Amino acid sequence: MNKTQRITQYALILIAGALWIAHSVDKSGVSTSGKISAPQAGFAAPNFSLQTLDGVSYTLADLRGQAVLVNLWATWCPPCRAEMPAIEKMYEEYKGQGFIVLAVNMTYQDDPLKVEPFAKEYNLTFPILLEGTGNVASAYQLQSLPSSFFIDRNGVISEVVIGGPMSEVLLRTRIEKILK
Amino acid sequence: MLTLFRALFSPPRHMILLVIATWIGLSLAEKRAERHGVGRDDLNNIIFYSLTAFVIGGRISFVLQNLSAFMKSPVGIVSINPDLFDPLGGIGFVFIAALIFGQARGLSFWHTLDALTPFFAVLAIGLGLSHLAAGTSFGKETGLPWGINLWNATRHPTQLYETLASLLTFILLRLKKHDPRPGILFLTFAAFTSGLQLFIQAFRADSILIFNGYRQGQVIAWIALVLIFILFEYRLKEKI
Repeated sequence: MNKTQRITQYALILIAGALWIAHSVDKSGVSTSGKISAPQAGFAAPNFSLQTLDGVSYTLADLRGQAVLVNLWATWCPPCRAEMPAIEKMYEEYKGQGFIVLAVNMTYQDDPLKVEPFAKEYNLTFPILLEGTGNVASAYQLQSLPSSFFIDRNGVISEVVIGGPMSEVLLRTRIEKILK
Repeated sequence: MLTLFRALFSPPRHMILLVIATWIGLSLAEKRAERHGVGRDDLNNIIFYSLTAFVIGGRISFVLQNLSAFMKSPVGIVSINPDLFDPLGGIGFVFIAALIFGQARGLSFWHTLDALTPFFAVLAIGLGLSHLAAGTSFGKETGLPWGINLWNATRHPTQLYETLASLLTFILLRLKKHDPRPGILFLTFAAFTSGLQLFIQAFRADSILIFNGYRQGQVIAWIALVLIFILFEYRLKEKI
């Protein structure tokens, strides 16, 4: 192939590429737009309503306007236990700025009697919700514990952290992002 | 089958696929390194230093971008948590480390890139599989029969498109007649990869959009193609 043929070939490829780019313009804005709910960054956080140990009810959708950390955990899970002090510290530090933690205990695969002593042992002040059916685990496609979902003020998942323990600095960087 | 694969390598285990791809790619690159005038030791060393630079550089870049958070928790700088990482910053450090090592060892830039091409090609396959396992780089909704159920919708299996395209590129490069002009093998890989990315990006639902809906990935791939074609002409001028 001589130089002219090659240049013609390059030009044709680039023109075809430019036309394909123009054809694939997404006028709808950000593709997921947080419209569909799914447990993945960029999607609306799946909604749920659960109760605390004291019977106080929390609905995720009602917390729109606040930055939310949904942490799925169990008392028997060592990394869940290890990250609780850091979560508590960050909750105390940022709650005044509109940050809330919903620590969802996987009660359907945990011993419910151990939840309250656990919260007392770690001096946890954020809401601890009891998940007795497995519906939230299913909606959040739980694969391993702990799993954490950082949700921005618009109810869109900003980041998912699967596994743990999360360090203080990891929490801080993610919380500051969802508070913006 | 797909569900089983995703369950086996779901996050954070999806990183295993990249480690496997790195190992296979390095083994294949080693076998053909001498054909490109690069010693096996040099090839192993450049990859070792580059991977080290990737890990350290990715962390440094992340720390610099989140300096206020790390000032409050400085111990976090040495945390083993992989989420405190900036991949793009890591890649920047890889370039610097590879250039310094190459200069110090007197390695030819184009010969080294050719020797590393099998490594890059296998890594691209591993990256596609890793995206599939993690459910990232996901596609737009579709009614096509080969759509996959992901994130509560039937979607284009863009991760599979990506994997198959990378596999096709790898096979074509293996079948390609050896060109003695340095750089041609790498540029062929780069052209295929950019072209296929430009095509596949159109089916993605997580594209970063710029200028009224244009997909950033496609624009970058198109610019990369222009540069690759210029470099092709520059390399083809070299006498064999």
